[in-house]
Amino acid sequence: MKKAILPIIISLIVLGSVSILVLNSGKLNSGEGIQYFIITAIVAFGVYMGVSRIMSQKRGQPTEDELSKKIILKASSLSYFLSIYLWLVIMYLTDKLKIETDIMFGWGILGMAVFFALSWIYFRFKGVKDE
Amino acid sequence: MNNRIKELRAKCNLTQDELARRVNVRRETIVFLEQGKYNPSLKLAYDIARTFESKIEEVFLFEE
Repeated sequence: MKKAILPIIISLIVLGSVSILVLNSGKLNSGEGIQYFIITAIVAFGVYMGVSRIMSQKRGQPTEDELSKKIILKASSLSYFLSIYLWLVIMYLTDKLKIETDIMFGWGILGMAVFFALSWIYFRFKGVKDE
Repeated sequence: MNNRIKELRAKCNLTQDELARRVNVRRETIVFLEQGKYNPSLKLAYDIARTFESKIEEVFLFEE
């Protein structure tokens, strides 16, 4: 049960923290709005993973099996590879547009999470054949 | 690699959920296997073949 609930708890903690941060900072500018939207989408992704694990458990099946582990492994390696290029682009833009370091890190971490979610969705629908 | 899981499952009157429970995987894994989107590990292939009381090569069809 722990493994099934964990993604939901983490997602809700992230959403709660971001909401408090947004409420305290007052008005949202467009950049912050986009960030908040992306974070909400990632949280929804985490909740979906948690709910699907709970459903599996209710059907008497394991929360994780060889396919789900392989999908996570493949998604992790692809998103890591893509993240290297993301950081290169961010570093280039930081230099050109004189972006503050904390904002650069925020976008970088958010981008990595988005890459992981997209890679996971890609392998979840395409499958893992390893041929 | 092709397989006859769907055909053998129908023969044995098993649902995807029941087969998944018997071989200790999620239902999605059985769906992926039937659609040919996933090649199982040797252990899973063996477990599935044993569930159908068949040999691995009767369930999974290897192509040259």
